[in-house]
Amino acid sequence: MKILVIEDEKEFATDIVNYLTSGNYLCEVAYDFNSALEKISLYMYDCILLDLMLPGGDGFQILKELRKQNKQDGVIIISAKNALEDRIKGLNIGADDYLAKPFHHSELAARIHSVIRRKQFDSSNLIVINELKIDLLSKAVTINSTPIILTRKEYQLLLFFIGNKNRVLPKSALAEHLSGDVADMFDSFDFVYAHVKNLKKKLNEQNYGGYLKTIYGTGYKWETP
Amino acid sequence: MEATLKPYMERDTNGKPHKLLDNTFKAFSFYSLAILILSIPSYFLVVDWIWVTEIDDNHEIIMERIENRFDQVHVSEKDLETILNTWNILQPSSSIRSLSHLEAKPDSIYEITKYNEYEKEWDRFRGLQSVIEINKKLYLLNVETNVEESYETIFAIGLITLLMYGLLVFGFIRLNKSISIKVWKPFYLTLSKLRSFDINEGEKVVFEESEIEEFNELNQTISALINQSISAYNQQKSFVANASHELQTPIALLKSKLDILLQQENLSQKHADLIQGIQIPLSRLTRVNKNLLLLAKIENSQFDDFEKVDFQILIDKSMDLLHDYIEERNIKLEKEIEVFETVFCSKFLAETLINNLLSNSIRHTPIDAFINVKLSNRVLTISNSGQDKLEEKTLFERFSISTTATTNSGLGLAILKEICKQNSWTVNYKFENSTHIFSVQF
Repeated sequence: MKILVIEDEKEFATDIVNYLTSGNYLCEVAYDFNSALEKISLYMYDCILLDLMLPGGDGFQILKELRKQNKQDGVIIISAKNALEDRIKGLNIGADDYLAKPFHHSELAARIHSVIRRKQFDSSNLIVINELKIDLLSKAVTINSTPIILTRKEYQLLLFFIGNKNRVLPKSALAEHLSGDVADMFDSFDFVYAHVKNLKKKLNEQNYGGYLKTIYGTGYKWETP
Repeated sequence: MEATLKPYMERDTNGKPHKLLDNTFKAFSFYSLAILILSIPSYFLVVDWIWVTEIDDNHEIIMERIENRFDQVHVSEKDLETILNTWNILQPSSSIRSLSHLEAKPDSIYEITKYNEYEKEWDRFRGLQSVIEINKKLYLLNVETNVEESYETIFAIGLITLLMYGLLVFGFIRLNKSISIKVWKPFYLTLSKLRSFDINEGEKVVFEESEIEEFNELNQTISALINQSISAYNQQKSFVANASHELQTPIALLKSKLDILLQQENLSQKHADLIQGIQIPLSRLTRVNKNLLLLAKIENSQFDDFEKVDFQILIDKSMDLLHDYIEERNIKLEKEIEVFETVFCSKFLAETLINNLLSNSIRHTPIDAFINVKLSNRVLTISNSGQDKLEEKTLFERFSISTTATTNSGLGLAILKEICKQNSWTVNYKFENSTHIFSVQF
């Protein structure tokens, strides 16, 4: 999986690359408008992370160029502006998602995962991890062909874990993923514990591999190769 | 400034406000009264003096004439006797009596008051006594004229003066009224403009040119003051917006670094706890910064994506988002939704409003208590149980709630108020029966 990170803040870009690389993604970085334009013209990426404010040009221009060249790379806009009109404009021009800074890397990884899955529509709307199967279209989860009934939030959490394999996920990231913007109005994320506990229980009932681990005091981790 | 004190009124010693022109009116009235009272004796003295001088002059002339005529007509001793007798009977205002040489004396002027038989009253008379010589004999000539009584003169003058004073005061009042309407018109115009001035709107106040120099000067000074305030206010606003904008990247970096740190292998529990300890204040910082930016954007009216917004749907959505937090605190949530028309506004702001109101209630509701959400007749009411009344005056101000809870950005209600202001909605807070009640009227 190839990812292009278009981000002028070098430190930030490096962190994203570090996080994603250990998740079996191959990352490239463009720090300015021109090098970004060059890279998207020359190569194909599974997903492009696009900052809107770039030295040398406007991020929207890159998005337009990409669509002009009829390329199907997935695009996630990552912007500090978090302006509604930017979000709408970006999605209208053809971005797949919009993530406002600051964000948890786990959230970004989950979004990338989801965008790539959607793009590979033909082959895999099915995620298979050993005995666990998730049909993304019908949102059906099975273990060894036995269906498991998950609540909406448990399903969201499961996908979030799978998009962040082998990563320590703090409760705050899970809470933000579940309740979006309102999550930061509260400090207590204990409800996350309840949802994860239920999810774990349902998975355990069907004897799955026990991939979901609790990291004491920090959060959770989904461990699969 | 007290709200009850009208600024254009000044207070007198009794504390009762009165119009500025009344001051001059009072002074003018008292002054003219004093002058008019003083004028009464002066007029009297002048009039009396003129009277008396005229009469005395007249007496002098009469006396000389009589003496001359007698000199010219030579009458015998006997005839003279008869003439003088007749004279003294027929002439009421003068008399001629014979005088011995011993009684001769210089001319004298006198004044007496005696009973007037014809008018049946006491009258003042002015007379002249003079010794004249007819046919080598001395006679005493006495001429008298009735002079107006002093008290009558004073009475007449006083009456006229009083009348004049009445006219004067009447004129003052009328003039005062018409002057105050005309002269103070630019002042009241300025005043009404200042009253409707709102620094939040950032609109400059334009004063009309007045014919009066002082008002023009006042208006110019006020204009300069207002422009200064507006520019300082705008600077302050853009400073906050710029500062929070600049803070975004470092905050994003911090969060990013913490995420990376958390992924380090062999992370000890102690280190994990430390990271956790950094994450909590960092998320508060993020929250405050995000809300400051949002507030600046609302103030700058950057949300103009107006559409028909159905609050019922938004409330359900918000309740769904907040469901976990409501359940976590075991709060009983009641929802009463009557038929509610859609509101034409920015959907994002409507969502923010509902989220802020609801999350605010959830945070401040004790565990196991209740929250009631009511939507009716263009009013959204959210009430929750609580113990103490919140300070109404500062409730909607930024960072006004002093609380140790780190959850609070201190901006939630300020944002709420700003959203209402931008949409001309009214937001109210009440505390009744141990219940906090927030209501928004659309």
